Amino acid sequence: MKHSNLASLAKEQYRLKKRLVAPLMGMPGLKMINSTIKLGQQNFRIHYEAIKALADLYQPDIVFPLMDLSVEANAIGRYTLFPLDDTATLPHVTFNLSQVKILPKIDITADTRALGYAKVTALLRRNIVSKILKGVYVTGPYTLAALILGAEETARSVILDSQGLHALLDYTTKVIENYTELLIESGAQIVCILEPSASMLSSSHFEEFSGNYVKQISALCAVHKVDTVYHVCGNTTHLIKSMAESGVSGLSLDSPDSGVNLPQAITEVPEDVVIIGNINPVGKILTGSPFEVKEEVNELLESVDQFPNFILSTGCDLPKNTPIENIEAFMKAGREYRISAF
Amino acid sequence: MARNEELYNAILKGDRNTVQSIFQTAIDENRDVNELLDFSMIPAMREMGERFSRNEIYVPEMLIAARAMQAGLTLIEPILAQNNHKSLGTIAVGTVKGDLHDIGKNLVVIMLKGAGYDVIDMGTNCGIEKYDNAVSAGAQIVMCSALLTTTMTYMEQVVNHFKNNDTIKVVIGGAPVTQKYADSIGAHGYGRDANEAVKIVEKLTGAIA
Ligand code: B12
Repeated sequence: MKHSNLASLAKEQYRLKKRLVAPLMGMPGLKMINSTIKLGQQNFRIHYEAIKALADLYQPDIVFPLMDLSVEANAIGRYTLFPLDDTATLPHVTFNLSQVKILPKIDITADTRALGYAKVTALLRRNIVSKILKGVYVTGPYTLAALILGAEETARSVILDSQGLHALLDYTTKVIENYTELLIESGAQIVCILEPSASMLSSSHFEEFSGNYVKQISALCAVHKVDTVYHVCGNTTHLIKSMAESGVSGLSLDSPDSGVNLPQAITEVPEDVVIIGNINPVGKILTGSPFEVKEEVNELLESVDQFPNFILSTGCDLPKNTPIENIEAFMKAGREYRISAF
Repeated sequence: MARNEELYNAILKGDRNTVQSIFQTAIDENRDVNELLDFSMIPAMREMGERFSRNEIYVPEMLIAARAMQAGLTLIEPILAQNNHKSLGTIAVGTVKGDLHDIGKNLVVIMLKGAGYDVIDMGTNCGIEKYDNAVSAGAQIVMCSALLTTTMTYMEQVVNHFKNNDTIKVVIGGAPVTQKYADSIGAHGYGRDANEAVKIVEKLTGAIA
């Protein structure tokens, strides 16, 4: 069973010759309200205000919170650093797969930061017009495993200790499911699963160590009639099919500079799966002029003109110092574009 | 010289135990380990590099092949040092300041070792001092890896630092880095992946010799 509200919405717009526009952005909102990433990731009021500022100014079709891959890992007790104005990171701490059984059985729905993110979701749901969908992020099962075990060791374990890795993935998936339920109860309408570390895998390993676990999360979301989006950054050309088969209703893909060919990707997914992407977040939109951004957006939209199942977005999270006028140019170009395919 | 198929295939499969036992037997029987290195292990690692470039294998397969090769190298390093095995040159590899990503850098290191170079692995978060130290220790080429757009700009500082030293070449790489960027900061070379990293080093060392 799949819940695919996103695809219907995208199609509805397409019939009106328009596109949904939903950049992955949170950090620039912190700049707008003169705050820092550390405060945004630790104080839910500041976090909410940053996202609200962005939503008020740009009126995107979906709002996303701050992208933060440390929430679940921090909640299960991993060492986490909070730089003053950079996203939280997890320094590598030695861990091996024989220690999976001693990982804490944590109720993540009682974690302070997880509750903060839930609170942000609830505030956004309550205070932002209902036509703007409320998205949330959860860490992907493989990526959370990589944060616990180390990215290199996890990649090796795929071959050397698949059983041990599966045990860890069962653990991470449970944690993520708990967190997902908390966010859904708080009002999330789209759950975006962040799985960057799995871009390193072959398609069969990807399916075995990420896709199969994402299936469980998307099934849970479907029960609640919530859409799921699979976000994998990096070059995912070889993974599109496996991603699309995991029961999610959207794939969020990285920019052409990372190797992704979006028009090609769309032909590889069924019509009830939307492709979301893929303006380079650190390309023209960060360093170019508004005119260049507009040209880049138009070029992308023209290249996918014949496909209804597309949502205009960025390939990954926009950095905090993305120029406001470039985000404006992105939104405007997206809003003004008209489908010419029919 | 004939290729030892068992060793060659063991590297391709990342079978560390077999690699170790083949080298250990050769050492015990006083056979020439250079031959195993040059005609079996290095070609196997090159083959892995090519397959990786062609997207036929991915990071896990590369990492376990690298681990198998490293196990072999560790066994024979003392012997190579004694025999004055001719190194093709000394290369320093490190991830630039502020950046902790090292999986790609580690693959570059192992491929270079596999190709017969002496490699100084400077680790992550490398400031100018680390590059200087490596040059003092004999490195003729310094290689910088970066995975963050915020840290890749540090490469320009490394290039500028060695600008007036004709004997040192700077080669850069990492996911956000492009040939265009390399040209714009005046780096001597760029490689898209670990395989290309070896090719550019071979080109440059040919030029140095
Ligand atoms: C694994 C990973 C991590 C791990 C790193 C573990 C480790 N030991 O390396 C951890 C969790 C620690 C981490 C932390 C962070 N990461 Co990170 N990480 C990744 C990830 C998922 C994969 C990178 C990787 O290893 N790829 C595989 C290797 C084999 O590829 P590669 O490095 O490109 O190397 C190849 C080539 O480039 C080339 N090469 C590499 N170096 C060199 C050098 C030379 C000289 C040459 C010739 C060639 C060459 O050869 C290699 C083999 O072919 C990417 C996303 C993705 N899907 O790509 C994000 C990513 C790189 N990280 C990112 C970010 C933002 C971070 C963090 C700031 C926090 C965060 N949001 O997660 C911190 C920063 C910490 C720090 N100060 O460095 C961003 C970077 C955005 C940007 N463009 O600036 C990415 C793109 C994810 C994203 N979109 O958010 N990360």
